[in-house]
Amino acid sequence: MTSNQAKKRRRKRKWLDWIPLMPFLFFCLVIMILPLFFMLKGSFTGSEGQFTLEHYAKMGVSIYAISFRNSILLSGITAILGVIMGTIVGYFICQLRSKRAQELVTALCDVTSNFTGAPLAFAFIVVLGSNGVLTLALREYLNWKIYPAFSIYSFWGLALAYTYFQLPLMVLLIIPAIAGLKSEWREAARGLGASSGQYWRYVGLPVLTPAIGAGLLLLFANAFGAYATAYTLTEFRFPLITLQLGFLLTGEVFRDPGAGDAMGILTLLMMGMSIIIYQVISRRGRKWQQ
Amino acid sequence: MAAMNKRTAVPGFAIGCFLFYMLLPIVATYAFSVATRWDRSILPEGLTLDWYKAAFTDQWFIIVFKNSLVLSISTVIASILLIVPTAYWVHLRVPKARPLLDLISTLPFAIPGVVLALGLIRLYARPPLMLARTPVMLVAAYVIFTMPFMYRPVANSLEAVNIRVLTEAAQSLGASWGRTLRQIILPNILPGILSGGLLVFATIFGEFTIATFLVGARYKTFPMQLVYFTRRDGRIASAYSVISFTIAWTTSLVILWIAAWGAKRTSGGGKHPTKGHTTGVVGD
Amino acid sequence: MSYLDLDHLNKAFDGAIAVNNLSLHVEKGEFVSLLGPSGCGKTTTLRMIAGFETPDSGSIHLAGEEITSVPPNRRGMGMVFQSYALFPNMTAWGNVAFGLRVAQKSQKDIKQRVNQLLDLVGLSNAGHKYTNELSGGQQQRVALARALAIEPRVLLLDEPLSALDAVVRVSLRHEIRRIQTALGITTIYVTHDQEEALSISDRVVVMRQAMIEQVGTPEEIYTQPDTHFVATFVGTSNQFPGILKDARSGLVTSVNGDWQISIPPIMDDHMQNGDALIVIVRPEEIRVSQAEIVIEEDNVITAVLETITLLGPVTRLSLSLPGQLIIADIKTVDRGRFVCGTSVQLSFPRRACRVMPGGDITNGDDN
Repeated sequence: MTSNQAKKRRRKRKWLDWIPLMPFLFFCLVIMILPLFFMLKGSFTGSEGQFTLEHYAKMGVSIYAISFRNSILLSGITAILGVIMGTIVGYFICQLRSKRAQELVTALCDVTSNFTGAPLAFAFIVVLGSNGVLTLALREYLNWKIYPAFSIYSFWGLALAYTYFQLPLMVLLIIPAIAGLKSEWREAARGLGASSGQYWRYVGLPVLTPAIGAGLLLLFANAFGAYATAYTLTEFRFPLITLQLGFLLTGEVFRDPGAGDAMGILTLLMMGMSIIIYQVISRRGRKWQQ
Repeated sequence: MAAMNKRTAVPGFAIGCFLFYMLLPIVATYAFSVATRWDRSILPEGLTLDWYKAAFTDQWFIIVFKNSLVLSISTVIASILLIVPTAYWVHLRVPKARPLLDLISTLPFAIPGVVLALGLIRLYARPPLMLARTPVMLVAAYVIFTMPFMYRPVANSLEAVNIRVLTEAAQSLGASWGRTLRQIILPNILPGILSGGLLVFATIFGEFTIATFLVGARYKTFPMQLVYFTRRDGRIASAYSVISFTIAWTTSLVILWIAAWGAKRTSGGGKHPTKGHTTGVVGD
Repeated sequence: MSYLDLDHLNKAFDGAIAVNNLSLHVEKGEFVSLLGPSGCGKTTTLRMIAGFETPDSGSIHLAGEEITSVPPNRRGMGMVFQSYALFPNMTAWGNVAFGLRVAQKSQKDIKQRVNQLLDLVGLSNAGHKYTNELSGGQQQRVALARALAIEPRVLLLDEPLSALDAVVRVSLRHEIRRIQTALGITTIYVTHDQEEALSISDRVVVMRQAMIEQVGTPEEIYTQPDTHFVATFVGTSNQFPGILKDARSGLVTSVNGDWQISIPPIMDDHMQNGDALIVIVRPEEIRVSQAEIVIEEDNVITAVLETITLLGPVTRLSLSLPGQLIIADIKTVDRGRFVCGTSVQLSFPRRACRVMPGGDITNGDDN
């Protein structure tokens, strides 16, 4: 056999190797890529089929602008809260002396980070609704009437409910990173004369930084795309971008398809960027840990 | 002495607050579902199973439960059939395609349910296709939506057991493709498939957003009914919530258990095939 | 024609040549090692014999029958992998039995054969254990038993010991050789460890950059390296770069005239007077003595003793000449007389010198 024939055979086999991937790739194309592509196209297409930026221009005003601002604020605040509290709780969990207790709390995080959507919203109504368990207890024992200053159906109510699923997620993300802080590093720093504070400042926190940064972005995306929790609590009354999209989608006839496409694309952009940066940071973090 | 106390008091207090925050909504929901009345006093006025009875006797209960079950199981099966052979093939024969596969299976993380629903409706809900608002399309959307949950554990277990070398070892001992798949590959990636499948199951059983927009009232699911009752009758809603949450945490625990079992079995290999995570990083 | 014939094998991956026009002939019952640094093509060669890679060109014959494109599961080759590749879902017993089950042997035969093999590798009590309950050495024994169970026509071992610690490595390599001799099975053994290859093989194939550098018995490879690479990769070598002054009488001097060395006379014409060359001398050939003693030897050079390193029965002295270090291995019992920093004489006979052309001196390690 000449080497030319061999080369041809080899190239053919390489190409054949890709065929079993086709069903999967085709499925992803039809169900995921094409709809998003046409959404992108629709967001730049006017009612007569011409190219236009009017849909995006609309995003800067009125209800759309408010919705974006609220979504970013809500996701940002709950992400920051989740990261700070999650890191602290994660650190203390790693300090627990009983291995069993560590496992139990981690399992609780696993379970509660999946407690989202309608059941979570309902649970918060039970706890902090106007006749909620905690609402009543605070009024009774501390004479502290949290209503009407606070409402579970308001921004801070939503923030409290969102933090509920953000916090355990952060704990799960940060624990491996904290566990990866080797005790030798602390001892080495001690041996070099560093105080505990200096150890954290120069070694501990810098090593945790990728995990914390990655957590922040993941939590942000996680909250930004959430729908069911907010919907169950507020229906369409509180302006969030996902709720606005949902509002446009209810009813068989589309009210403003172009605006919907533009909102969808902007939401994808926010989430996509968060996820990409998250991936980059966490990959770098993983390299560091090895 | 004081320092000693401080050293244990701060972590104890922090973890205490954390547990309170995490457990209170759950405990309250469970208690609410068996309380006669609990909107006038600190403690429930009495215990009852009436709300469960009311939930179960509602003609819709069986229908929505069955619908959600059908959707979840169909999605798990479709997801396994689509993703497992693809992941195996890529790991074995087309390692070049792995970054592509990793990328595609991460994409759904960045696509909120409501955006996916919007895209599908805009593209497929118009004549002549009119496919978007059918349960079949819903399952297809669900396969995409849950793809990371299925792909990650499967890919991890494929890596953990070094599938390529095992395949070669089986072949050098004379085994055919079929036998290699049945007796070597499947048993070894089973923990990954199981945890992926369970995570997909739990996610879909509680999925509200995409279902509402794609099929809506034509194919009512369990979470839709739950949302409906949160507005109409909180006590029946609490029974629904408890059932929904119970399914979710049971699945989580089973996944953790499978992860521990898988890790024990392949502890020689080092990596945990499923990493013990049951979290599908999607807000709801 | 031999039992296993590899003829003009070529294999490239994405344009990078892994095996370049390789031919090798192995007799039945022979134990042949493929030795070389990583990336030299030895594993690719083994995988082509096993059938996991198809050569781009060339042919493989086994017992006269062409098997170049026979799928791996019909070749009847037993393979032992570096990572053991035991099936984690089966016990040790199940692993060894797998190939026999595939071959649809009777239950009774399987039972008898598996027990016999576990016995052969010294694991008759560990059959019920799962792979993660076995140590690395035990896992590799199971892998060996599994490969032998199918009575392979050729046994292939791909760096089987490199994941094990030193003591297990040495004892297991003796065991592999013992079992191979007892069964008389043709064996191809891939390793990057020269000591392993020399101690275990009938013949050693030294490979480098996709090609065979030298084939020979362990003794030939060690004492008569054909190339500079073989001389430096296999064992430790001292190199004296110099210029050939007189081919007939075998006289070499250093470039700046610090020393001169007598080598065996060069009879053929492949080197001319004035050529650059390298004289290679093994450390154990060099004797070291105090400066004041008068020595009768072909070559005597004065050097400064730099360091003394105890290696066990042997002590390694490093000695400096202008511009280079020389290593000499002496018996540890003779070590006491030397003091670092003093001048000593090193001496070696003419017959201990191997001469290589000095044109391009490449490093032995091409990773």
